[in-house]
Amino acid sequence: MKAYTWNELQVGVAEELAVKVAPAMIERFVATTGDVNPLHCDDAHARSHGFAERVVHGLLTASFYSTLVGMHLPGRDALLHGLKIDFTRPVYAGDELVVRGVVSHRNEAFFQLEITGTITRSGSETVSRAVLRVGLLARE
Amino acid sequence: MLPMPSRMLPIFRDVLNAPALVVRLDDNAETLPNYDSLAHIDIVTAIEKEYGISFGFSELVDLQSVGDMVALVERKTSAARTAVV
Repeated sequence: MKAYTWNELQVGVAEELAVKVAPAMIERFVATTGDVNPLHCDDAHARSHGFAERVVHGLLTASFYSTLVGMHLPGRDALLHGLKIDFTRPVYAGDELVVRGVVSHRNEAFFQLEITGTITRSGSETVSRAVLRVGLLARE
Repeated sequence: MLPMPSRMLPIFRDVLNAPALVVRLDDNAETLPNYDSLAHIDIVTAIEKEYGISFGFSELVDLQSVGDMVALVERKTSAARTAVV
């Protein structure tokens, strides 16, 4: 786990992590949230609407923004204030994703970072964009 | 009294999640909807980005109204313009 300090978190500092979306993750997400919408659980239903197969819940993939913030940027002293997310392409079971964040603004008065996040598949296709607002519990 | 800047109104509407919100210069945290501490931080961040300025905490602590914020932004942007000239 990283533990960036406020002074280290200058605009442009970036971190990323890689993750493969395993089918078991989807099953656990369904069990946790109760979201059994057929777009996420039924391949035939998903295909009938033009998707290759059932689509991974957007908020499952977005949960890796939590990992980005809590483990990597800034890591230990993070307090996630909020985020705005766009889901730009469907994600499927087995996809290998890269979650990346870049510090894009520092609110010096309140020690809050803005982090611009992206999730890409196979290194190029953007499947999600986000703007994350992150406070820091410790400033030194 | 300074008018409500057209560049600032969309910031309040966006952060406070109120697309048709009318903001007056004498509005404050008590009169604006959804105005809590996080909204305050988000408005500060959005204003910094919109105007290309940065606030220190000491500049913000005594603000009592939207008009106070407008006046502060005007002072900081005027100072920046003067410095460039």
